[in-house]
Amino acid sequence: MGYFIATVDSLWTTFKQALREPTTVNYPFEQRERAPRIRASFALTHDANGEENCIGCKKCENVCPSEVITVVAGKRTSPVTNKGRGYADDFTLNLQACIICELCVQVCPTDAIIMTQEQEKPTFSREGLTLTMDKLYANEKQKRWAWANATVLWDQQDPERGAEKKEEPSAETTSSEGAS
Amino acid sequence: MNEALELLANPWIHGFVFGAVIVTALMSVTAYITWFERKFAARLHSRMGPTMVGPKGLLQPIADGLKMIQKEDIVPRDADRLLFNAAPAITLFFALAVAAVIPFSPGLLASNLDIGVLYALAVSGLMGFPVWVGAWASNNKYALFGGMRAVAQAISYEIPMVLSALVPVVLAGSLSIGQIVEYQIEHGWFAFWPPGPGIFAFVLFMLTALAEGNRIPFDIPEAESELVAGPTTEYTGIKFGLFASAEYIHSLLASALGAALFLGGWDGPFGIPVFWMLLKTCMLFVGVTWIRWTLLRFRSDQLMALCWVYLVPGALGLLLITGLYVHVRG
Amino acid sequence: MAVAETPPAAPVTPAAQATPIAPVTQVAASTGPLVPSGPPRDGPIPPIRAARTPRTDCKPTKAFVPEPHLDLSTYEADADLMTLSLGPQHPSTHGVFRVVLYLDGEQIVKAVPYPGYLHRGVEKLCEKLMASNITPIIDKNDYVAPMTNEQAVNMAFESLMGVEVPVRARYLRTVLAETQRVASHLLWLGTFGMDLGGALGGGTSLFMWCFRERELILDLFENLTGCRFHYNTHTVGGNRHDVPAGWPEMLHRTLGAIDERLDQYLGMLEHPIFSARTKGVGVIDADLALELGLTGPLLRASGVDHDLRRDAPYHAYAEVDLKVFVEDAGDCWARSKVRIEEMRESIRISRILVDNLPPGPICSTKPLKMVGQHKLPPGQVYVGIETPRGELGTWLIGGGANKGSSPYRLKIRSPSLHACAVIPYVLPGCSLSDAIAILGSLDPVMGEVDR
Repeated sequence: MGYFIATVDSLWTTFKQALREPTTVNYPFEQRERAPRIRASFALTHDANGEENCIGCKKCENVCPSEVITVVAGKRTSPVTNKGRGYADDFTLNLQACIICELCVQVCPTDAIIMTQEQEKPTFSREGLTLTMDKLYANEKQKRWAWANATVLWDQQDPERGAEKKEEPSAETTSSEGAS
Repeated sequence: MNEALELLANPWIHGFVFGAVIVTALMSVTAYITWFERKFAARLHSRMGPTMVGPKGLLQPIADGLKMIQKEDIVPRDADRLLFNAAPAITLFFALAVAAVIPFSPGLLASNLDIGVLYALAVSGLMGFPVWVGAWASNNKYALFGGMRAVAQAISYEIPMVLSALVPVVLAGSLSIGQIVEYQIEHGWFAFWPPGPGIFAFVLFMLTALAEGNRIPFDIPEAESELVAGPTTEYTGIKFGLFASAEYIHSLLASALGAALFLGGWDGPFGIPVFWMLLKTCMLFVGVTWIRWTLLRFRSDQLMALCWVYLVPGALGLLLITGLYVHVRG
Repeated sequence: MAVAETPPAAPVTPAAQATPIAPVTQVAASTGPLVPSGPPRDGPIPPIRAARTPRTDCKPTKAFVPEPHLDLSTYEADADLMTLSLGPQHPSTHGVFRVVLYLDGEQIVKAVPYPGYLHRGVEKLCEKLMASNITPIIDKNDYVAPMTNEQAVNMAFESLMGVEVPVRARYLRTVLAETQRVASHLLWLGTFGMDLGGALGGGTSLFMWCFRERELILDLFENLTGCRFHYNTHTVGGNRHDVPAGWPEMLHRTLGAIDERLDQYLGMLEHPIFSARTKGVGVIDADLALELGLTGPLLRASGVDHDLRRDAPYHAYAEVDLKVFVEDAGDCWARSKVRIEEMRESIRISRILVDNLPPGPICSTKPLKMVGQHKLPPGQVYVGIETPRGELGTWLIGGGANKGSSPYRLKIRSPSLHACAVIPYVLPGCSLSDAIAILGSLDPVMGEVDR
């Protein structure tokens, strides 16, 4: 008899669940709002004058735990300021082994490498998952940037950061759909 | 026209035509039952279920069938090829054969056997054995475990199932399902009248039908988390599909049998009889599905204990009470 | 092991307590040599500090049985027993794990676990990586509760380097650890339901619901760190991401909803089938648990009142009144009960702490601007924290490669490995179905077992 009552009780529980609207979304056609801080893919940025931010310092290459970043450093004259400065002659990021740890963004001294909120499309070839320099600069234009860059992160982690400086830059939390 | 009807009166042609109609209908209904079950389970899980193939995923069963036919048919090297290949077909045959005596409406049945109840229970009880044959033939330890459990369960639960199905037989005084239904139309559904043994026998029958159909909480032969896929571990492609559809058909026909034996079959207040029969069957099947997606699974020894300690004595007691009632009624 | 074998010697000296560095560290007292062959650096290695009173009320353990099994002499080895290789590809081993079962019918006569299929050499890899790079790698160990992995290894670094963590970061870490505990236990509850109820049944309903709630917690973490799973949000000396605006409210909303829905699911777990499948199944008595070094919910379900969060408070646990749940039965049911109560308690603590989140910096070291910024001094330290699975210990010897930025040795004491050690002792005598229930109730994470 205990079995019977408990079974009816459980059936009632599942029935109540069945009355709820589905929590999942019809994925490729609808997409959930993602958090502003979400990090998915990478981009390289330009500064206000249209010049590449990357100076080829190789800090990201050195910090990368899974060693997926390759930077070929070069030195050229800048077309904007007409002064010699460092450039990345080539910049490759292999997404196959990337663990999205954000450390390259964290160490970048010029905010050159940032992460984007939209991920790369699935591909059929290994080459498709290698972000070349062209793709990274294209991502700057095409994809929404994530919240973090080195300046923001350093500011957050500043040991001197007082209580009065606590206002947040931009990050508002996304609403969590299921929690209503 | 008359000639055609006369032709149909020939039992061979009648059986063939209605058999073809019912088998075709059953196979397509079974396909859409999988769609229904997926959608239903998705609702319980806050998911959406199939959405991609056709509107609301309505073409999903067809896609599933095509996929199963396309899949590579793997026969393990050490398997007994003959039995391994034959088992799915035999299982499906026994599952479909039950349909021969299920009356969907006064005229719509393949064969009005005088011993319809006996036939239905006997044939559906046989379903456990080709499963075991397939499990043994596939030469896999998990499959062997599943097959042994399936046979143990089929043998054990056959007894309370037959005993509980005997209650309407005793009440109506006939082994023909059609006559049982007609008796119910006259005297009231057995699930509710006479009050007492009918409703308990109905619950018992559906419970054992759950067990015979390998549905949770009695699905120990398949027991995905323990035995990977039980008897069907080594089966791929359409052979697996035959096993799966046999299981669905078995559940569906057990629901139909329950509706015919206890809920008055095609009896309804208005409209065409076949509608009421299908409605009752579907309601029972929804109940079975609902239970499936709600409960956890028994352990095999607990399952056997439940059968032999509670269900068999209970069913015998019910039969005794029913017999006394019929004796007193005269 | 550490708990059981700890001799009650090594009293806590005032000097040890007054050690200036690493107030959040607790260390198991040990007198034996703990150094691998050859010291890492010149000079003496400071002894491991003792900050926690070792347990003295442990009973003497049973005679150790090297190969536990039923009486094998009643069987003819070639004829009667059937070996069944449960895994490495099996739906219920929770990862790539293999248990060879010797079966007499459905009854298990002997069980031999074979871990190691997921060995990735993380400890060796850490000897090459620098301190800042280890955090995202160590995330992958216990892939059900990555947050606590990060915390453990970073606490070891902080302890060795003598870095103090700001109050805000300590509160934040506590909130994250407790929220992660809820997420981890939710995943356990779902998979346990799957083990008991199959992939096509009520277990899956439970599993889906638990995953739905867990997704809410992952949303929380996504809003805070930008990643749903492998966060890399801790760093030496604090956290990398501060709380965004609106996050505490979101946490309240999420945890409130989970707390509410938990009641519904527990109603389903009160079903007699659940009791029948779990009560009296897989009993681990307290002696065996202590002998094998079980920690966390497994130990507490066996009746040993031991929780590092309360016994050796780290983070901000000293500032909350933490209730520890202990069950005496030691069976699958007790383990479920302990975890479920822990979930509720974690929800409560998180909500209190996030309300009292103090202002201030979240990191006490300079932000990471170049690789090798954090130098690990020579010396060794052991830090143990209470993850959802038990005591996750990190034993760290500093001063390794990369001019001292890498550890000389980083050893992880994973609670899941010890949980797997209990399998040969508990499984014999059970049926195959029970074995699945027991494996599910142990809740091992293979990434952590094999590392």
